[in-house]
Parts: sequence; C-alpha cells; structure tokens
Amino acid sequence: MSKTEPILRIEDVVKKFGEVAALDHCSFAIEQGSITGLIGPNGAGKTTLFNLITGVLRPDTGHVYFKGEDITGKKPHEIARKGVGRTYQIIRVFPKMTLLENLIVVGKGKESRVIERAMELLDLVKLTDKKDDYASDLSFGQQKLLSLAQVLILDAELILLDEPAAGINPTLQNELMTLIHELNRQGKTFMIVEHDMNVIMGHCGHAIALNYGQMIAEGTCKEIQDNECLLEHYFGR
Amino acid sequence: MNRLIKGKTLIWPGLAVLLAFLIAVPYFASDYWLTLLVLVFIFTVYASGWNLFSGLTGYTNFGLAWFIGVSGYVSSILIADYGFFWLLAWPIGAIFTSIVSIGVGYILLRIKGVYFAISMVALTEGTRELFGTKYLSPITHGGLGVPFVAGIQLSTLYWAILALAVCTVIICYKVFSSKFGLRLMTIREDEQGAETLGIHTTREKITAFILSAFLVGLAGSIHFTYQNYIDPPFAFNINLTLTAIVMTLFGGVGTVFGQLIGAILFTFIHEILWAEFTQLYMAIFGAILMGLILFFPQGLLGWMKERGILPRVRTL
Repeated sequence: MSKTEPILRIEDVVKKFGEVAALDHCSFAIEQGSITGLIGPNGAGKTTLFNLITGVLRPDTGHVYFKGEDITGKKPHEIARKGVGRTYQIIRVFPKMTLLENLIVVGKGKESRVIERAMELLDLVKLTDKKDDYASDLSFGQQKLLSLAQVLILDAELILLDEPAAGINPTLQNELMTLIHELNRQGKTFMIVEHDMNVIMGHCGHAIALNYGQMIAEGTCKEIQDNECLLEHYFGR
Repeated sequence: MNRLIKGKTLIWPGLAVLLAFLIAVPYFASDYWLTLLVLVFIFTVYASGWNLFSGLTGYTNFGLAWFIGVSGYVSSILIADYGFFWLLAWPIGAIFTSIVSIGVGYILLRIKGVYFAISMVALTEGTRELFGTKYLSPITHGGLGVPFVAGIQLSTLYWAILALAVCTVIICYKVFSSKFGLRLMTIREDEQGAETLGIHTTREKITAFILSAFLVGLAGSIHFTYQNYIDPPFAFNINLTLTAIVMTLFGGVGTVFGQLIGAILFTFIHEILWAEFTQLYMAIFGAILMGLILFFPQGLLGWMKERGILPRVRTL
C-alpha cells in the first residue's frame, strides 16, 4: 500500500437490478481522514453503493478497494472485520437486547476490555444510564447514537452513515455532528449520505453527487455549491 | 458475563436439593412415576435443544423429529443388529446426527423464516418415507420397524436421561450467558445488521444447529431404547416436534429453565386429562393451549420475569 493510496476506491462499478442500472460505471476515491458527503436524488444509487461497499450486495462488474486491498465479493462480516462500519437508513440495532449487550456482542478481544470499552462508548453517546434497557425502549435518535456506538466498538476506520441526521431533533443532530467531527479528528474517515444539504455543506469537506448511478460532480463543498446550476439541473432545487 | 447478568444466588442451593431428590427417586418411587419422569426428561432435552437453536436464532425448527429419528435409528440398529452396548450406541447415533446436520444446516440455513420451517418438515417427512422403502430396508428393516431389547434397567435408563437433562440445562445456561449466545440472538434480531457488524452469522447458526442436533439426538436414542422399538412413522413423527415446541411455549421461549417447567407441566396436565377425560382430553388440552398463547404468549417464566416476580435476566 503506497502512501497515496486512498482508504476507499470504487472502480468502474456496475450493479443492475433487472434492466435498471442502480450503479452505472461508477468510480471515485475517498481519502483517509476525510468527511465526504454523498448526495443525489432518491434512487440515485446511494444506498446501493453502501451495500456494495459493505458486501451486502456484489457488483456485477468493477471493483471495490479498501486500503488498497480488493474487497469485491467478500462477505459482509469479513469486510466489517477489516474496518468498514455502517449505519442504516432504517435503524438496525438489536431491539430485544440491552444497550450493553448490543455493544458487547460486536466487540472483539478480552471480555473485561470489551465491557470497559462498551461503557466508554455509552458514555460518549450519553446513554450510560440506559445500559440495561432494551434498545427498543430508546427513541429513534438515541437508537441512531447506539448504532454509531456499535460501529465504533467494531473499531471501523471507514464509517458509512446513511442519513444520520434524518428524523432526529436539532439538538441531538448537533450533538451527533459534533461527535462525528471529534471522531474525525481522532482519525476516522466518514462517508455520509444525507438529503439535508445544510448538513452536507456545513460538515463535509468533500462531496460526491450521484444521479442515475453515475457520479455527476465531485469536489470540495464550495465547488459543489458553485456548481449550483448543475445541481439544479439534476435535482431541480 | 456472569458479573453482568447474574440471577439470584438463592436458586442454586434449591436446585441442588431438587437434584439430590431426583437422583434418589428410583429407590422409593413406583415404575409408573419413574416412567413419567423418564418422559419428562426426554422431552426436557427435546424442548431445550429446540430452544437452544430456535429460541436464540429465531429460525423455527419444525424438523426436530428428524434429529430424534436419525439418531434413534442409528442407535437402535446398532443395538439390534450389531449387538452394540447401549452406552456406546447412543453417542454414536447422536454424533452421526450432528455430522449429517452440518450438511443439512449448510444448505437449509440459507433459507429464512417460514420457508426454513417448511423445508425442515419436508426433510423429516422425506426421510420417514425413505426409511420405509425397500431400497433402505436391508439396513432399516423398512416399514416393519426394529424391535429390540437393550438389556437396560428402568432405573439405569432414568439416571441416564436425568444426567442428560441436567447437562442440557447446564449447556443452555452456559450458552445463554455467553457471547456465543448473544451472537445467536443478533441473528434473531437482525441477521443482516449482525453481518455488517462483523458477526459470522452462518458459522454461529450452524454451530448452534449441530449442538441442538447432538443433544436432541442423544435424547432420541434413549427414547427409542426405552420404547424397545422403532419404525419410521414413530421415529419421524411431527408430534414429537410439536410437543417440544408447545412445552417451550408453556415455559417461555428463550429462557433457560422454561423448557424443564414446560415439560413437567405439559406431561402432568396431559396425564391428568388423559386419565380423567379420556375422550375429551385433546379438546380440553387444545383449549388450554389456546388460552396460554392468548394470555401468556411469553410463557410462564417469561411472564414471571415481566411481572418482576423473577429478575429479568437471560440466565433463568
């Protein structure tokens, strides 16, 4: 792995569902330590892209490289163990397990260390006093935080967040974004799907715009913003 | 994990006294009571084995009788035709069943939900047919079945099944309070979510499937040695599966001791109804079952945990 190798590289990826190409010769790279926004209208292929990166789906052609290693077609649990974590648009914590169990089950290594780390993370997302409650007892926003804590105990280097800000109140939203910046400073790389353009513009260094499964624009948020007419053309804003 | 999820320590001395009493039963009880307890313990293992896999992973196994039948056949044939000593034949049957289960699990555990349940019924029914055909009759004796005498006393058989039932409950306790148990639970909660969090769900569920096959298979071998006879409709009877599931519902799905309680309740209610209302007992039993599912869907132990009568821990 050379120094310039990006943490994630998508190379000419095609994924078709029947006749519809959800991703159509899509290529781009994500730099280590960045926060990249992924934008595009509904059905642009954003979630499909996440599914391909995490191994939930296999691309028809093309390759996905994580830290220079070809991970195309690997099983989801193998990719997760290599350091790719994700949260889902629809929350997928384990509802009838306690918060602590939700984290312990993901952690690897010595049990006392895992429990200790789980408690640290619960503290980080401010859910310590609910550690013995079922995850199903949490509010939607709290479940999102728990979901993020699960990705953190997995010790993922690259974290894919599918609409982290949607459906949660502004206070919690701010807390969540502050946490993301904090983790970014500690070296985590983020890729964020979001419909709220304020979140993208305010928090992401880079943005990638997808439409009809192709990358139509890429650059710093400033550049994307300046490319407003292009966006308007595609997104009808 | 024990530090995390611990039950009331008072339970253990109580269980020790109960165990001592159960070991002593053959010295004072009649054969009728001994027989009843043998059945209770056989079904405790069936129900606990079912719960160990299905209660944790959420994959409803309607093919428990397949484990019972395969292991029962292997051990019965070894005793009847090859003169094996029962203590040797039983584990061979169970190990054989476990090994075949690896293949079955590898293929069928890709199928989710109700389709998995149906495929396990199909496997059981298909094997029942196959064992009765002329193609396998040189080994299985076809539809005639295999009558045999293993030369084991009722009290010895009782101790054997008691030991197995105790081991099974201990194994369940260990699994339910381990990280392995938690990983199995994530499969029930959200299999895909678990995979993207690095849990090798296929490996975990096949492991649980094999463990379940081994324990249930061992109890199946003992069951048919106790009956001194095996034939295909008897060995691969879906009623065996259903009884184990109903007992689990009585006690509580996903609990450790619920299956033992379920097996005791079920067997005694069954026995009393059968003796008192011979013609109506199935109808009454059905009504009890419907009431149970309507009002106590979480089972007796689950209900007690919910009400705070028992601590809400996984190790009960």
